[in-house]
Amino acid sequence: MNPSLQHHISVAVRQKRVVGRRDFLRQLSAASLAAGAFSWTDAISASADELRSRGMACILLWMQGGPSQFETFSPKPDHANGGETKAIATSVPGIHIAENLPRCAQVMDDLAIIRSMTSNEGNHQRATYLLHHGYLPLTGVKLPTLGSNISHQIGDAANQLPGHVRIGDRLPNSGGGGFLGVEYDPLVLQNANRPPQNTTPSTSRERYQRRLGLLDSIQSNFASAAGAQVVANQRKLVDRAAKMILSPSMDAFELENESSEMRASYGEGDFATGCLMARRLIERGVTFVEVVSRGWDTHQDNFNRTRELTAQVDQPMATLIADLKSRGMLDKTLVIWMGEFGRTPQVNPRSGRGHYPKAFNVVLAGGGVQGGQVIGQTNADGTAIEDRPVAVNDLFQSIYHTLKIDADQENISRVGRPIKLVDGGNVVEELFS
Amino acid sequence: MVAKVVSCVGIVSLVFGLAVNLAVAKPDVESVANNLDMALAEQVFSASEQLAPSCDDATYLRRVWLDLVGDIPTPEEVIAFSLDPSADKRRRVVRQLLESPHYGQNWARYWRDVIFFRALDERALIAAGAMEADITKRLNDGDGWDEIAVEFMTARGDVKQNGSTAIVMAQGGRTEETTSEMSRIFLGIQIQCAQCHDHPYDRWKRKQFHELAAFFPRVGVRTVRAMTKRSYEVYTIDRFRDRKPKNTETRPTAEHFMPNLNDPSAKGTQIQPKFFLTRATMPLGTSDADRREQLAQWFTENEWFAIALVNRMWSELVGEGFYEPIDDIGPDREASAPKAVKLLATKFRKSNYDLRWLLETICATEAYQRESRPRRSSEGTPFVANVPQRLRSDQLFNALYSALDIRETPEKTTPRRPGRRGQFAKAFGYDPSLPREGISVSIPQVLTLMNSPQVNDQLTGGRKGILGRLLHEIRDDEQLVVEFYLRCLSRQPEQEEMDIALAYIDETPKRRPAFEDLLWSLVNSAEFQHRR
Repeated sequence: MNPSLQHHISVAVRQKRVVGRRDFLRQLSAASLAAGAFSWTDAISASADELRSRGMACILLWMQGGPSQFETFSPKPDHANGGETKAIATSVPGIHIAENLPRCAQVMDDLAIIRSMTSNEGNHQRATYLLHHGYLPLTGVKLPTLGSNISHQIGDAANQLPGHVRIGDRLPNSGGGGFLGVEYDPLVLQNANRPPQNTTPSTSRERYQRRLGLLDSIQSNFASAAGAQVVANQRKLVDRAAKMILSPSMDAFELENESSEMRASYGEGDFATGCLMARRLIERGVTFVEVVSRGWDTHQDNFNRTRELTAQVDQPMATLIADLKSRGMLDKTLVIWMGEFGRTPQVNPRSGRGHYPKAFNVVLAGGGVQGGQVIGQTNADGTAIEDRPVAVNDLFQSIYHTLKIDADQENISRVGRPIKLVDGGNVVEELFS
Repeated sequence: MVAKVVSCVGIVSLVFGLAVNLAVAKPDVESVANNLDMALAEQVFSASEQLAPSCDDATYLRRVWLDLVGDIPTPEEVIAFSLDPSADKRRRVVRQLLESPHYGQNWARYWRDVIFFRALDERALIAAGAMEADITKRLNDGDGWDEIAVEFMTARGDVKQNGSTAIVMAQGGRTEETTSEMSRIFLGIQIQCAQCHDHPYDRWKRKQFHELAAFFPRVGVRTVRAMTKRSYEVYTIDRFRDRKPKNTETRPTAEHFMPNLNDPSAKGTQIQPKFFLTRATMPLGTSDADRREQLAQWFTENEWFAIALVNRMWSELVGEGFYEPIDDIGPDREASAPKAVKLLATKFRKSNYDLRWLLETICATEAYQRESRPRRSSEGTPFVANVPQRLRSDQLFNALYSALDIRETPEKTTPRRPGRRGQFAKAFGYDPSLPREGISVSIPQVLTLMNSPQVNDQLTGGRKGILGRLLHEIRDDEQLVVEFYLRCLSRQPEQEEMDIALAYIDETPKRRPAFEDLLWSLVNSAEFQHRR
């Protein structure tokens, strides 16, 4: 099939979907008008306000591959290990970050940079798992990932959108609902430019409901023995999916509803639209959104490649924080920037940097975190932490603390083994002072 | 006269049969299958173990169809098989399926997913088509697993022409990554965990990983530009003009160097090729062809080569491996049924690594033929039942097309324009090396089957689709319900299911929408998307 034909088809499909939803909204608004209610946009923002007053939310900006700390938040321009990267001043006197992040430098007031993150895991798979779960993989236990735990703890079960969304396609080892169940798995969107596909019910609403009823009743046979687990899982997801697509909150996925100025302010590219979508989703009561940026595994040509990557991330991240703030949402939304580890201080002959879990960066903003500060530091050549090491479980303690979740709570896994949200570690108190 | 002829034939076939037996001498499928079941009974099951009963014929037929050829049987095949009174029909159908060209196709797609789900880069997908075609042919030709492995390990050439370059291509020709994948796929051993540090809970040392990597430094991947097409090739170099070997992961170098962890900018230590399982070595300076051929021979002679493959296939068919995860095994891991896995691996080797023999043997075991039960918890006993497996993307695609009687039209596909099957895989594909308990249904998958025009346009009762034809052909509602169940689930409906369907049809004013809804529900059911 040629590309233009494919384009026509996808436009046609989209239009069908939009028309379908518009009809549906019209029916509902007629009903709500009759009941003396207000318009739909009001209803959405009212409910979002209510949700905000109730709950906290979290956005994880994930840099897959392990971002170089030297080219982002810990430049070392005075040492050979710093390479060619220069440092720039930020809105906070005395704090310098890499020249690659000029926009983030302007929102430094809201950022807390941890320059002393440390772990032992230098393998992508295991480190990606670790920084998503706070644990290394345990045999026999399917641990929930951070976003699943958070949406399980503080998510609004009545919300029609899934509580946990990942933008930027599937990410191996980043986990899912685990023993909490498939309903806490992330809804994975390939990117934010297109709303989730296949969300127009294939028939009229009434018939769709009947179909769903028939589907449910014919599943009993398989559910009675062999398929008990898989049918239970599938029923939950059919239910969730149906609830979602029949809900007016689907509007959250329409970036076209944002003004062109707003869209431009986030910048261009998949990461930018992902950040904008993240804000829209949080606004509509989604609890945890992860936005993935890929390609940070810069074994070769580190400086050029990191420059390209930071150019994709800098503006969206800075705008996201400013946008959340101007909407009064930042106080209740924790934004986390991180990857699975940092990169070696020494630059290799291919102008690359290897994996370096011993000292790397995490940046936090919002949710009550005190911005405008740097926590911890490494020595002059960046090889060792000199002050205030922060372990992965310390970070996870702090994330849960920010979101007012008791990290010592025990989840009961399916095998009946109680497992704390975080094992050990202490809240990094400086984040809140 | 007649007797004489018979006796002559008898003698001829006896003599000839002996000769053939000496040449092939495959272990007997039935007796190996029996011994496997006995080994499980002895070593795994307690005396009071509650074993699931043998599944019925319809379940068995759908199971072997999906497992062996990646599709579901037609209603006619289900009926014929159920009515066939012969005692050896299960074994016979397995043999027939293994002779079908779809056997090679099905498993080639499986291996394509094994290799390309771990690709470092999307560009590598350019090699997927050739790999699938080549492996399909090799499997259908009956090539041994050792021959196939040797091809993968020693391949060179244009990735669009030689499918065996797939593993090297998927890893971009990078020495360390290629090494890791060869070990993971063919030995089931994840020695790459020792790449950066001595392994925390395995015996492998960092140096041993790099000694294995030292078999692959002279291999690389580069672009091929011709007037009309663009491709990549796996190439090798044996003559290094400049004396200083370039320290690079993607271009060939004369020898492999283990990086110095404290000083990554240093050249590191030059490493001699050495195979970690046997400690056999090769001298520095050996040519690429000799290195890789030698290593391929050492790999394919090793016991872990056979164990890794039988473990993978057993896991795919019985629902759980002797070792889990299937690609993280080795002398430091404990098998859940040591005797059985050893037996199967030894006999597989005796069969000359005959993959058809292996599948036939597994399908003949009681363990395979048991009814399915939900996946056991970590306290439960393994292999007391089969386990419902979520269909791989290609199996589900085929099942959908078969149930709805859609013919797949050939499409020209590229990594960017993957065609209908490739699009479908974006939603439904998964890495078949991952533990299956972690692979569950997702919202995008549910939405695709419930609402996508690709599926739903086929579910409407227009004249062209299967539904319109059947509505016209079968006037009796009850018979039509049976037909739908046979088509989608390869079984007859239970009485209760029939009642539900008839009640629904009764409540629905028109016949056509009622059956559209039933077909929609069957396709969207968990049973359709699993092999039970």
